[in-house]
Amino acid sequence: MNWTQSTTTRLVLVCAAIALGAAQLPAAAAQRDAAPKADFVRGAKLWASNCTRCHIVRDPKDLRDDQWIASMYHMRLRAGLTGQDTRDILRFLQESN
Amino acid sequence: MTSQTLTLRRTVISAVLAAAFPLAAGAAEPLEALQAQIEALQKQLEQLRNEVTQQRSGGASQDLAAEVSKLKQEVKSAQEWKQANTVIHLAGYADAGYTDTKNASGTFTPFSFNPIFHFQYKDLLLVEAEPSISIDETGETTVDLEYAALNLFLGDHAALVAGKFQSPIGQFRQNLHPSWINKLPSAPTGFGHGGAAPIAEVGIQLRGGAPLGAGENRVNYAVYVGNGPEVEIEDGEIEMVESEGFGRDRDGSKVWGGRIGFFVPSQRLDLGLSAATGKVAGMMESDIKRDYEVVGADFAWRPARFELRGEYVRQKVGDAAVSAAPEGGEWKAWYLQASHRLGNTNWEPVLRYGRLDTPHASGNQKQWALGLNYLFASNVFAKAAYEFNDSLKGAATDDDRLLVQLSYGF
Repeated sequence: MNWTQSTTTRLVLVCAAIALGAAQLPAAAAQRDAAPKADFVRGAKLWASNCTRCHIVRDPKDLRDDQWIASMYHMRLRAGLTGQDTRDILRFLQESN
Repeated sequence: MTSQTLTLRRTVISAVLAAAFPLAAGAAEPLEALQAQIEALQKQLEQLRNEVTQQRSGGASQDLAAEVSKLKQEVKSAQEWKQANTVIHLAGYADAGYTDTKNASGTFTPFSFNPIFHFQYKDLLLVEAEPSISIDETGETTVDLEYAALNLFLGDHAALVAGKFQSPIGQFRQNLHPSWINKLPSAPTGFGHGGAAPIAEVGIQLRGGAPLGAGENRVNYAVYVGNGPEVEIEDGEIEMVESEGFGRDRDGSKVWGGRIGFFVPSQRLDLGLSAATGKVAGMMESDIKRDYEVVGADFAWRPARFELRGEYVRQKVGDAAVSAAPEGGEWKAWYLQASHRLGNTNWEPVLRYGRLDTPHASGNQKQWALGLNYLFASNVFAKAAYEFNDSLKGAATDDDRLLVQLSYGF
C-alpha cells in the first residue's frame, strides 16, 4: 500500500469512526432522558471506591455544587466512569457539601 | 317687689348691657363655629389615627411581602447556577520545591502553576485545557499546553475526545503525574519528558467505561489515532523519542493505539494493558518513515491504607537504512511503588524503584526513591524524598538527589 492509499484508507476509517459516533448522538440523547435517577447511597459507595484509585479522596465540602459538576465530568473521562456512576457520585457530593 | 317691677329691672339691665357691650350678643356664632371646627379637626384626627393604624398594620404586611419577594428573587438567583446549561470551572494544581543534587549546588525549583479550565454544556460537552506555567533556569516564563480538548459525551459509555490529550498509554502520564497526586516529588525514571512513556497526542480518541457483568466490576477503554511522535536525531543516533503531542505529521502516517483497563472494587484492584503502532519520522527527515510501536501494562492494588502500584512501558523505533541515524532503538521503563498511611496520622512514607533502559548508556538509569509525605489536607502535601540514582559514571543521571516539594491541588 503506498502513501496515498494508506492515508486515504485511514482517513476513511477516521471519518467512519466519527460518523459512527455522530450516529450515536440521538440514541445517546434518548439514553440521557431515560436515565435512572441518580442514587445517593450508590454514589457514596462509588465515591469511596473510585476516587482512591488515583488520589486521596476529596471532601465533598471542598467544592460547591456547580464546581462538582465539571469536576465529575472531568473525572468521568480520567477514570473511565460510566454516565450513571458519574451522576450517582455527583448527587452524593452535591448533597453532602 | 312685684313681678312687674322685676320685669322692668331685667329690661333695664339688659338694655344697659346691650348698650355697654354691643358685640357680646354676636360672639356666640364664632364660638359655635370654632367649636364646630374643633369637632371637625377631632374627626379628621381620629380618621388620620385610624389610617395610620391601618397603614401600620397593613404596611407591615406589605413590607413583609416585599421582603419575601426579594428573598425569593435572591434564592432564585442563587439557584440559577444549579440549573444553568453552561458551567464554567477552574481547577488545577501548583507546586514549589527545592532540589539538592550531588555534585551540583542546591536550587529552589521554579513554582509551577497548572490551571485547568473547564467549560461544560449540559452533560453533552466538556471543553478542558491545562496550560503549564513555569519559569526556566534563566528566569524566562514558559507556557506549555499539557492538553486542550473537546469531549463530546456519546451516551453513558463513550466520549469522543478531539484535540490535544494526554497519552492513554499506561496510567502515570494520564492520571498520576499531577504533583498533588504523584506521591513523590519526581516522576519515575522513564516516565518523564523524553523517556519511554509517550506524553501526549494530537488527534481524536474514543474513551469510556462500562459495567463488567452484573456486579460492580468495570471495564474502561481508550482508543485513539493521532499525529504521533517524532524522533530526535543527533550525531548519527536517535537521541530520544519526542512525544509531547505534535500539531504536524511529518511522516504522513498516523499512530493508532489505546488502553483497556479493568477495575475490581471488591479487591481494590486496577489492571491495564496498552499498545500503539504506526510510523514516525525524524524532525529533519520527514520523507523517511520508521516503524513505531509501544506496549505497556500497569496495575494498582490498594488494600486499606497501603497502596502498591507499578507500570511497564516499552517504546520501539525501527531502523531506516537511508537515515542519518540508520539504527532504531528501544526505550524501556518500569517502576514499582509502595506507600502506606501511618495509622491515624497524616504521615505517609513512600518507596519506589524504577529502571530505564535506552540505546544510550548515559540515558540508562536505576533509581531508588525513598520519601516521606505530610498531608495537611487531602489536596495539600509536603513531600521530601531522596533519590539514589545509578547510571553511567559522571553522567548527571548518576547523581543522587534530595527533593522537597509543597503541592496543592484545587
